[in-house]
Amino acid sequence: MMGNPNVGKSALFNRLTGANAVVSNYPGTTVDVTRGFLRKERLEYEIIDVPGAYSLEARDAAEEVAVRILGGHPDAVVMVVLDATRVERGLYLALEVMEHGNPLFVALNMIDAAREREVSVDVATLQEILGVPVVPTSAVLGEGMLDLVEAVHRAQPPDIAAIEARAFGEVKCPAGERPLSIAGTAGGVPE
Amino acid sequence: MSMQKRLSELEFSESGTVRDILASRHELNCLGVRAGKHLTMITRQPIKGPVVVAVDDMEVAMGLETARCVIVEVDRP
Repeated sequence: MMGNPNVGKSALFNRLTGANAVVSNYPGTTVDVTRGFLRKERLEYEIIDVPGAYSLEARDAAEEVAVRILGGHPDAVVMVVLDATRVERGLYLALEVMEHGNPLFVALNMIDAAREREVSVDVATLQEILGVPVVPTSAVLGEGMLDLVEAVHRAQPPDIAAIEARAFGEVKCPAGERPLSIAGTAGGVPE
Repeated sequence: MSMQKRLSELEFSESGTVRDILASRHELNCLGVRAGKHLTMITRQPIKGPVVVAVDDMEVAMGLETARCVIVEVDRP
């Protein structure tokens, strides 16, 4: 599980793994890494709560550990956790992780906070542009947990070139209405 | 005629668009302060205090030296 600090990653981790988690220092550092297990339908998932990071170009010890964990698990499926009220900022790290190539899906967490602040995220379009599952969740309320676990099996290695083409080109609205064009550099996700 | 100021020179509640970042570009970029982004000055503590701006409904704090390296095109009042 990767994502910016304060996106509710640990709350989400706790929801998924319950009480059976182990916290330890990443070797040679004082940075905590938490690992736990989720057992569902005769499958066992090992889940690693990676320290929060804004970027994979590490600026501090926590980010360095995040980079090393990602590098050390080339076969892992990555869950990128976004704060639904700060999608654009979270996409900076998310796109860097996508460039890394692991199969990936997105938890759009804190969807309850987004609702409260009347922030709406066009999940369908985001999913279409990124080409990976995007699951709205609220760790706090326990919403979306089943969909999230199911999304592990639909995780895809991202195609950065295709994401770029879709983001800078034209993307049809899911309802099949008139095309929606996404603005360039400073643009975020349309609401 | 557009006016450019360093971010550290913005008045409280003054806003503008980032035109260039001369230092700490990566650190600022990944927090949401990038060329082309619109931001608003929230607070600017005197005597080397932090500078806080609002970008996309988020608050980003930075040191005064970092703020001096962000060039902003100020919105017309």
